[in-house]
Amino acid sequence: MNLRKFLLVRSGQIVVTFWIILTLLFVLFRLAPSDPLSVVADSLMSEEEIQILKAQFGLDEPLHRQYLLYLWNFIRGEFGISFHYRQPVVEILGDRLPKTALLFTTATILYALAGISLGKILAWYRGSLLDSGMSFLGLLTHTFFLPWLALLLVWVFGYKLGWFPLSGMISPEIWLDPESGFLAKFLDVLHHMALPMGVLFLTHFGGYMLVMRTTMLETLREDYILTARAKGLPEKVIRNRHAAPNASLPVVTSLGLSLAFSINGGALTETIFSWPGLGRELVASVAHGDYPLAQAAFLFIAAFVLVANLVVDVIYAYLDPRIRY
Amino acid sequence: MASSREIGKERSLGGRAHFLRHLGENWAIYRKNPMGMGGLGLLVLFGLMALASFIPPLLDPMYHPMSGVDPEIDTSVGPSARHLLGTDFMGRDILSQLLTGARVALLIGVSAAFMAVAIGTMVGMVAGYFGGIVDTLLMRLADIVMVLPGLLVILILSSVAGQLSIWNLVLIIALLKWAGVSRIIRSQTLSLKVRPYVEAARVAGASHTRIMFRHMLPNVLPLSFLYMTFGVTSAILIEASLSFLGFGDPSTVSWGMMLQWVWKTGHMFKAPYWLLPPGICISLITLAFYLIGRAMDEVLNPRLRKEVLEQ
Repeated sequence: MNLRKFLLVRSGQIVVTFWIILTLLFVLFRLAPSDPLSVVADSLMSEEEIQILKAQFGLDEPLHRQYLLYLWNFIRGEFGISFHYRQPVVEILGDRLPKTALLFTTATILYALAGISLGKILAWYRGSLLDSGMSFLGLLTHTFFLPWLALLLVWVFGYKLGWFPLSGMISPEIWLDPESGFLAKFLDVLHHMALPMGVLFLTHFGGYMLVMRTTMLETLREDYILTARAKGLPEKVIRNRHAAPNASLPVVTSLGLSLAFSINGGALTETIFSWPGLGRELVASVAHGDYPLAQAAFLFIAAFVLVANLVVDVIYAYLDPRIRY
Repeated sequence: MASSREIGKERSLGGRAHFLRHLGENWAIYRKNPMGMGGLGLLVLFGLMALASFIPPLLDPMYHPMSGVDPEIDTSVGPSARHLLGTDFMGRDILSQLLTGARVALLIGVSAAFMAVAIGTMVGMVAGYFGGIVDTLLMRLADIVMVLPGLLVILILSSVAGQLSIWNLVLIIALLKWAGVSRIIRSQTLSLKVRPYVEAARVAGASHTRIMFRHMLPNVLPLSFLYMTFGVTSAILIEASLSFLGFGDPSTVSWGMMLQWVWKTGHMFKAPYWLLPPGICISLITLAFYLIGRAMDEVLNPRLRKEVLEQ
């Protein structure tokens, strides 16, 4: 199977998966004990507004027509109006998505790379003090309860030491000042991102490090490593070019499998640090009873996870030629 | 001459003795694993905490974790002889909340993991045993369930259904967590299906259910049990996270809820005696089940055991 065909098949599966999630969400909200109208209309809306929404979502039509209209609305990007913000849902989420992507993608790349390279080194120096110390540290941070670690970091680095801002994504005084250039704004966001990213990094890198360490130990016992040694190749070449790429395959797999889990952690992190992303918006909209926003935020996150899964597949296919040919 | 019934009885007794001997051997291997023993020790500690949670309310009603308020205290005060870990924002005893939290965590963790593993084992066995379209459909379903972010699905459910009680939560966690187990059990079933003894049973005319339950289930159960230890952690973490976000069952107290109270009432920076214990407990119980799981993995997976010896 070539890469293109592989990706086509995977994309097809992802579209089907997404359609099933979409359908489940429809069933869930229509089966809910509450009045279906309450899902799209707020009690504060005027009678006229409610009538417009009713027509838009086909609430007075039979269920199968409602479903088709629901799919059509989704394709057009019509998610209704948020009760809380009194603004089209799609505008709100369009603003939040890049912010989640920024935090989550940067953190994921950092902890996956750190996990892989640290695991590689630990396996190489197995049995050393470095190995046991780092393995213990990785295990410890891996088991930390994420919100608790976040609160501790805020307490120590935000409050006691005052090195980082307690929450938010930007400092208004820098962004409103017409004098400040791109660099100042960029550094400001980075400054705000440090703590949430630190939380995601600390709670995730350990798992990847330990998996990489184990698979690297297995790989180092393979015959082709012995062959490479017999050829007299430098140790560094054996480690980095012969062993590490193969050993990292299971790590990439587990990266894909744990994406859903990481996105939970992302939502918790966003909420604690008031990072204006999709996860925090979902939590807040559920608390407000803001159904249109909650529903759409969930779909955005589901789509995000599925696309991220596809990216992991591409990386896997790139690393493992057996997938491509 | 012994009737066939008696022979059957003897066989099943023999089977039980065999099982017990097996368990004894496994325990002997497990005992040699210091990490596994450490995890077990921690678990015993949490079990004792859960048992001890019944004591404080008996001593004095003010020690009731939810409704007991110290008549002389109406704010968060640090540790004292009267309240060993201090009180929360309403003057409730933190220690008795912490003990109750252990009970709730173990209850939710074990029951959700047990249900998830039971579903996963059934689905995996059916998919592996029957193969074909049944297999394809079940495994596609498992794939979908696996990409769902569990915590956020529960959030969406609670937005529709309102406050979720503990038992509803357990059920939902089980329905979200069976998929990983079912994949593992399926591949195990695939390899068991072609073993001679299963084929012999089939030739002897055993029904599908009999082959699955009498002949294959005992061989996949150890693996299911292993995955249960991992499932417990994830169930406890989901409940803790949900309570931390403020969507927990308000009729009881959990560690996640305690953290939410510290955070939301603004005591984060001034009440370390309140912030630290619940977080330490959640992290340690995660560690306990992780260590037990790792050690059991080595017991069930002789290949891993050898590798450990080689190192």
